[in-house]
Amino acid sequence: MNRPIQPTYTLDKVGEENFALNLGPQHPGTHGVLRVILHMDGEYILKADPVLGYGHRMQEKIAENMTYPQTLPYVSRMDYLGALSYNLAWVLAVEKLCQFEVPERAEVIRVIATELNRISSHLLWWGAFLLDLGGFTPFLQALTDRERILDILEEITGSRLTYCYFRFGGLPSDVDEEWLTRVLDFIKEFRTRLPRYHDLVTGNVIFHHRSKDVGVILPFDAAGYGLSGPILRGSGIDFDVRKHEPYSGYDRYDFEVPVDQNGDCLGRYNVRMAEIEQSLRIIEQAIGSIPEGPVRSKVPKLIKAPEGEVAVAVETPRGQLVIYIVSEGGKKPYRVKYRVPSFANLSIFAKMARGQLLADALAILGSLDMVIPEVDR
Amino acid sequence: MATTNPLQRALDKVGIEYQPTEFPNSGLHCSLVLEKEQIQPLARALARGGFFIETVTAVDKIKDKVFECIYLFNHYEESLRLLIRVSLPRNRAVQPSIGKIFPGAVWHERETTEMFGIQFDGCPDSRNLLLPEDADFHPLCKDFSGVS
Repeated sequence: MNRPIQPTYTLDKVGEENFALNLGPQHPGTHGVLRVILHMDGEYILKADPVLGYGHRMQEKIAENMTYPQTLPYVSRMDYLGALSYNLAWVLAVEKLCQFEVPERAEVIRVIATELNRISSHLLWWGAFLLDLGGFTPFLQALTDRERILDILEEITGSRLTYCYFRFGGLPSDVDEEWLTRVLDFIKEFRTRLPRYHDLVTGNVIFHHRSKDVGVILPFDAAGYGLSGPILRGSGIDFDVRKHEPYSGYDRYDFEVPVDQNGDCLGRYNVRMAEIEQSLRIIEQAIGSIPEGPVRSKVPKLIKAPEGEVAVAVETPRGQLVIYIVSEGGKKPYRVKYRVPSFANLSIFAKMARGQLLADALAILGSLDMVIPEVDR
Repeated sequence: MATTNPLQRALDKVGIEYQPTEFPNSGLHCSLVLEKEQIQPLARALARGGFFIETVTAVDKIKDKVFECIYLFNHYEESLRLLIRVSLPRNRAVQPSIGKIFPGAVWHERETTEMFGIQFDGCPDSRNLLLPEDADFHPLCKDFSGVS
């Protein structure tokens, strides 16, 4: 017989009904290669112990050994659903370190593309979350609309998932009027389709039974675990990096930060649905105010950063991403740290799962909307 | 009366001088170099002041034979990113844990332990997080050259 490769786990409380249940690493409910060892008492969870690292690629060491432009296509491999936010964060961090200027037109196009990406990420979450709860139709509905965003982004970026569209000092290519009209057409049509999402799910009684008062995060815990993004805002704390430390001219747009006081799965659901509408508003304003001009400023061909350190924060679809770069001068960074939102957001799962039903724990995991390669880096 | 912000109040409580830096240039509101004994009292003051933890990590300054343990904190209401730097000797890197003050710091400390070999004294959980559970190498050290 084969020897077990994992150490055996001892249970906290031994009784007739207690057992250890292994969830993942290959499990549809964990959205990637996440493993959770659950200590169960019948249907209830006594203790959850997440085991990470199946998707660990040592991104930080890779960044240390490559030049700044070489790292650019790598960062979007972490959060593949919100790739443009990562692309943007790396570009902003290097621009801040080397003090490159960015033309205003490029900033506006960056905002349009990033917000489209945020909507596509939230749509996939919406479908996948409801799939976790047992509904298959929403997934197809969401993917139909997401596909149109991917087509739009493909036209300017050339890829459909792991985008690398931004460059130091601007963009590689400009967008034309036709593309902007296409985005506006999409917004118009998507606005007519959005009520269907609410008709299908938001008011549904079964959905409410599964999500209301499930997995409540108190604002006090949220701060202790360093949560951010829709999960934090679902607990009633108004924190959005786009307002908190505005970048790429987000302070020019008029938008609200949706907050829900309940802190449960339904609260997080409501926040994300409201965020989709706010993103549409931002895109409309950006297209309405897009200036003429160049999209790329002059930057040296060989990028050599001065000595120093920078920390740049960006609001990804999942929360606050901080890229911290230490430079000792030269073509390569000395140290790069990615402070990723999913990592902090997943760290509270063990606390939330305690005492829950197994089925509810999967609903909680779905409502956290984490991307495992981002957690593992 | 001079206006004070939550960071200034937290630093006053533990008797550390408040010196803001140029935020637009580095993205850091304030940058401090502390001794390792100061980290726990300051973390308590920050937790009471409504700060949240962004990350705990380290930089391997191999030329100076030290690890710089880095803490990033921020505030949900105001943009007050605080960077704390603690120098630890490379051969005996032990740092007090703040895992009991900020529960979210536990995972960051576990990651720093496995990546650099810095021990966090009093951390509720010190198992490997991202690396395999039997890994005894520290990949983010500058003298790490791979495993055979």
